[in-house]
Amino acid sequence: MTKRILLYATLAAGAFISVFPYLLVVLTAFKTQGQLNSTAPWLPGLPPTTDNIAEMLAGDFPRFILNTALMTAALTAGQLVFTTFAAYAFARLRFRGRDVLFWLYVATMMVPSAVTMIPLFLIMRELDLVNTWYGLLAPYILGTPYGIFLMRQFFKGLPAGLEEAARIDGAGSLTILLRIMLPLCRPALGTLAIITVISSWNSFLWPLIITSGDDTKVITVAIATLKQGIGVDYNLMMAGSLIALVPMVAVFVFFQKHIVRSVVLTGLK
Amino acid sequence: MTGPAVTRTPVRPAAAGPRPVVPVRRRRGSGWQAYLFIGPSLFGVVGFLLLPMVIVLVLSLFDWELLSAPEFVGLDNYRRLASDGQTWHSLWVTVAYVLLCIPLQTALALAVAMLLNQRVKGVRFLRSLFVVPWMATPIVLGLIWNWIFDPRDGALNSALALVGVTGPDWLSDATWALPAVALVSVWQHTGYNMLFFLAGLQGIPQELHDAAATDGATPAQRFWRVTLPLLNPTMFFVTVTNMIGAFQVFDTVYAMTAGGPSGSTEVINFRIFETAFKQFDFGYASTLSMLLFLIIFLVTLAQVRFFGKRTTYDLS
Repeated sequence: MTKRILLYATLAAGAFISVFPYLLVVLTAFKTQGQLNSTAPWLPGLPPTTDNIAEMLAGDFPRFILNTALMTAALTAGQLVFTTFAAYAFARLRFRGRDVLFWLYVATMMVPSAVTMIPLFLIMRELDLVNTWYGLLAPYILGTPYGIFLMRQFFKGLPAGLEEAARIDGAGSLTILLRIMLPLCRPALGTLAIITVISSWNSFLWPLIITSGDDTKVITVAIATLKQGIGVDYNLMMAGSLIALVPMVAVFVFFQKHIVRSVVLTGLK
Repeated sequence: MTGPAVTRTPVRPAAAGPRPVVPVRRRRGSGWQAYLFIGPSLFGVVGFLLLPMVIVLVLSLFDWELLSAPEFVGLDNYRRLASDGQTWHSLWVTVAYVLLCIPLQTALALAVAMLLNQRVKGVRFLRSLFVVPWMATPIVLGLIWNWIFDPRDGALNSALALVGVTGPDWLSDATWALPAVALVSVWQHTGYNMLFFLAGLQGIPQELHDAAATDGATPAQRFWRVTLPLLNPTMFFVTVTNMIGAFQVFDTVYAMTAGGPSGSTEVINFRIFETAFKQFDFGYASTLSMLLFLIIFLVTLAQVRFFGKRTTYDLS
């Protein structure tokens, strides 16, 4: 029995540590400057104020959120479409150089993104795409090798009989992909979508390098500059953080099952 | 996004049982169609991954500060690297960072996974709570943890003050800044890694544990002799992907310390960024990128060897 209690206590403590910083963000975002100084960080300021949130929303923040949402939507859509086509071809079609190309893709997964940043910037500069939406999106919208690898593994796992039957009935590759394969791989597509949404929303280094104006500024870059802008007004900063975090937490709450499955899919099977 | 570099999927055999023998039709036209299907992604891989690799390699042989014309200098940048104390310092900081976070976040993840692999009420809910940190935007995390680590009003020192301890100036103290940043990584990745270990643990048949217990193995022996060896593939995946990520850490450092105080958190990726986009020394920054690439490659290779040498038990 004591063992049982100890187990729960440990797990509860761990879970608490995991969510504590989030809790702190919420508490602090609703505090006035006075409450911030007079209350302990982990206690709520009473009565709560929505001034900080309102102040952040009154500025350029909604625009940056919109930019981030646009970027995330475009990257996710691109990833889903191009990855599906490429992965299907690698998994099920025969063509010259298929295996060599596939291993090339796998090899590029090992290239650290930090290493390609400089040349990517120079390429965009050469094409006059610095500080444009094209420059921001181009490197990641055509499908990542990682996504293609993930989807290919999934396609390979689907029974081949289905496809053969359709072929005998005269269906072409495009029909097979769209009518037969896609409905079957909805879970895998969901997983891929979530991974892409999260990594796009959170991406920082590339947007930081390639954009400078407000037209293409995303939330991560805005948050990073926030710190220099408003000094140590933690309640304002936490209000900004809260606004940036809410969409991801929402994604998490809604797609929790998918996320856990994605781990199993990507890692171990 | 860093992907798992080396995972293999056993290809499931097509529907079992006797298959009707049908003459396989020549898939005419599927050649050009396949190229059409992979076309866009191939353009991306070549243009945004392979070409950059070539460019960075070539550029590392040039002296180029963006405004002037690039000048070929051969291996000069690499020679400069050899005597560049600041870079070696950055490397050391990076290695220290990796050593601070990887063992801790791996061990913690495994421990939590083992706790959650028991019959516990509300296990699903608890599991989700542990994964919550992984969702957060690293740059926002940096901001939040800055506030927690704030020496005067931060949660950590306020809590320490309650028990009569005066906490250090965490992020502006050269001794504590790096451990503090590493701690944030541990906080963020433990739950996520836990999911992998949990999946791995659930793949181990209960009979093996039972058999070991029947033979009189203590829980500790069962852990070292049964659980851990059978988790080898998971361990491999988790450490490889985590290390690749940790060697490139940037976001949290940028948000929390910007390399300071006095360079104590200046990890190599941050130095590359500063060299390229603050000092516009693109040639030398490319050389540093090559160095980072080489290090990550060698570390990954070493891990492949290490894990490859150990027996992997196939349970499927």
